[in-house]
Amino acid sequence: MARSFKNLLGDDSVNTRTLLHEAIPITGTIASGTYTDNNIKTFTHGMFQSVYDYPYLSSSANHIFDLTYGHSSAQSSSVNTQNAKKMNIYNQMAQVLMGYDVSGNIRNFDSDGTLDADGVGTMHHCFFMNFSRLLSKDEVKKNSFRLALYNSGTVGTVGHLASTGRTNRTVLGDYNSANQFRTSPAGDYGLLFTGSTGTYPAASSVGLVFYQAGVVVLTSSFFSSGSAAGGLHGAPGTFPTTNVVEFGSGVALTNTGSIELAQANNTINELASGFRYRLEDVDFNNTIELNSSIYFCRVNHNEFNYSANPTYVDGSKIRVKNNVSDLPVSYITTVGLYSPDNELMAVAKLSEPIRKDPNTELTLRVRLDY
Amino acid sequence: MAFLDNSGDIILDAVLTDTGRLRLAQGDGSFKISKFALGDDEINYELYNKTHANGSAYYDLEVLQTPVLEAFTNNTSNLKSKLISLSRTNVLYMPTMKLNENSAPEKAYQEEDSKMFARGTEGGDTAVSDGKFYVCVDQKTWNAVRKYRDIANAAQNIGESNVSGIIMGFVHEEGSNSKRLIRVDQGLNTNEISPNLGMDSDLYETAYIVETDYRLGRVKPVKSHTPAAVNFIDDDNIASYYLTSDEYVNPKIGEQANESEPAKAQDNDGKKTLAALSNINPQVFAGPRGSTLHFRLQASQELQSSTYLFTQIGSSQASNVASGNILGFRSGASDTLIQNATTYYIDSTVRVVGANTGFRLDIPVRYIKVDY
Repeated sequence: MARSFKNLLGDDSVNTRTLLHEAIPITGTIASGTYTDNNIKTFTHGMFQSVYDYPYLSSSANHIFDLTYGHSSAQSSSVNTQNAKKMNIYNQMAQVLMGYDVSGNIRNFDSDGTLDADGVGTMHHCFFMNFSRLLSKDEVKKNSFRLALYNSGTVGTVGHLASTGRTNRTVLGDYNSANQFRTSPAGDYGLLFTGSTGTYPAASSVGLVFYQAGVVVLTSSFFSSGSAAGGLHGAPGTFPTTNVVEFGSGVALTNTGSIELAQANNTINELASGFRYRLEDVDFNNTIELNSSIYFCRVNHNEFNYSANPTYVDGSKIRVKNNVSDLPVSYITTVGLYSPDNELMAVAKLSEPIRKDPNTELTLRVRLDY
Repeated sequence: MAFLDNSGDIILDAVLTDTGRLRLAQGDGSFKISKFALGDDEINYELYNKTHANGSAYYDLEVLQTPVLEAFTNNTSNLKSKLISLSRTNVLYMPTMKLNENSAPEKAYQEEDSKMFARGTEGGDTAVSDGKFYVCVDQKTWNAVRKYRDIANAAQNIGESNVSGIIMGFVHEEGSNSKRLIRVDQGLNTNEISPNLGMDSDLYETAYIVETDYRLGRVKPVKSHTPAAVNFIDDDNIASYYLTSDEYVNPKIGEQANESEPAKAQDNDGKKTLAALSNINPQVFAGPRGSTLHFRLQASQELQSSTYLFTQIGSSQASNVASGNILGFRSGASDTLIQNATTYYIDSTVRVVGANTGFRLDIPVRYIKVDY
């Protein structure tokens, strides 16, 4: 009996999992003025900014990340601009990323990665960078995240590349997270250090990167002087008032001066803009989890040597044969994977035709990724 | 759809088809891969040069240089020609399929004629022949096309025998059943093998897959209006029927042989050559003949009851248009039956695939609706 299908047996298919990584370089000028901020989308609710890789009114634009700011309820003050919204942002991010303690209270962000309540490393004022899934895919690859920021000097005005006046370039990274990372309700996270010498657990951590969530949490005190009183994670209300870096200059910001002043007196939108102008570069590798089914299509020597191609016959005589004793020949260009009811589920194409005759056997390995 | 890069190692470019994705999304377990087939859609075997001066290593030089297209996600656009497994290597002739436009039912063991649409010159008008099977979608259309008028005598019909290839695609209100049909025969298209030898059993088709646009029509047998059970309908509304029963494959003919004699793609005595039976031979193959498939089409409810699909994917013309009248209605406006009527039509294709050998045949059909 002639057949055009061959059943796949139990050992003809296997499932595998593969991790793919893509390098994602984001130049800071996209965030700080290349498109004169036409690629920065703001919202009337004023709770975050969205950064696109092209003016967002264009259909070519891709959303790459969001920026926002929040502070914990310990920093609540009626004189703060957008006080409630800043707390809402902080609590929303904290409940998703850090979860709750045994009493059901939302945990604060803790830069030392210990999830304890000792107050050491607690980040009360935070900038959040939420990367779009387009970039982070399934997760950010550990020990690949680098964020270059200027945390001193002044920045330019909106619409111009903000390089003039920025100083103290610092590259933050999850330097030691390849084998050391922490877990949270939102998956794994690593600690961000200002140099590769940072070790776990570390009071010198300036933020967290949540790998699966694709979120970076950065303490705002990174923009204050680490050597001043209060240090990086000064207790609430103890931010340094001397040696502060200017944060908030530029047209978008009405309050110039320190980060402490800015986070109290500026809107979330203005704080996000201030952050953008200090951004030089973001690099990371993303991870794509490919679950694959591999089908081994085994073609024996006595199979698939004839064709139903209309050109295979001249009249009814097979073109590739002169007489009965000649071996039949066919050429494979396509592999079709079928359901039991003969419906084509998947198709694979060979990059060039493969000759098949009774002297050859083949195993075609077709991989379907999900 | 681009070509694949064939400058380096051989690679496989694999994608899920649209139907595969649909079944995956349904999540009902219908996405299951249990078999595979190989195809050679891009290959033109006419490029195989058996007389190449440099020897057999060069016979398929041009064939192997054929660029291959990327994979299509449309399931119906892939694997149109499959490779076939036969355990023996001494096959020199492969069976093909042909339409059998037979007008001698009694000689061919079939209910009625199986010709494509044609209208004769009777009645004083020009002949029309369209290379398609016409499917009447409703009673009104049937009444109109069965009453072609004599141009010289508006009250006189030219007679049904002068019109062929119109299939009754609906259930007649008075119960009559025109059994005009579509017939596909399998056989060896060669004079070099006598039909006496018969078809090798491993090449004989016992089942056929018929694919139609489910929005337009269903497959039904010749003797009844009960459509066949659909095997599946894909995301493009292409319905597949797997036909094996003797209602369709080698059907028994009641009137000729007391429902005991199956129709065959053979002579009455099964042995005579095509030339020897040129006047009455119902055969289309000179060589050994295999099985035969008989079926009709039933118009979908939507075609029967509205003109929506006709206006969406079809065309129309005034029924009494003098030039290019698709039904060959008499020219002029004096025929009162069609004077103010509109002829709607949709052209489509019915694909017949041999379940055994994978050979296929595309049959053009036209669904027609005369609205008056």
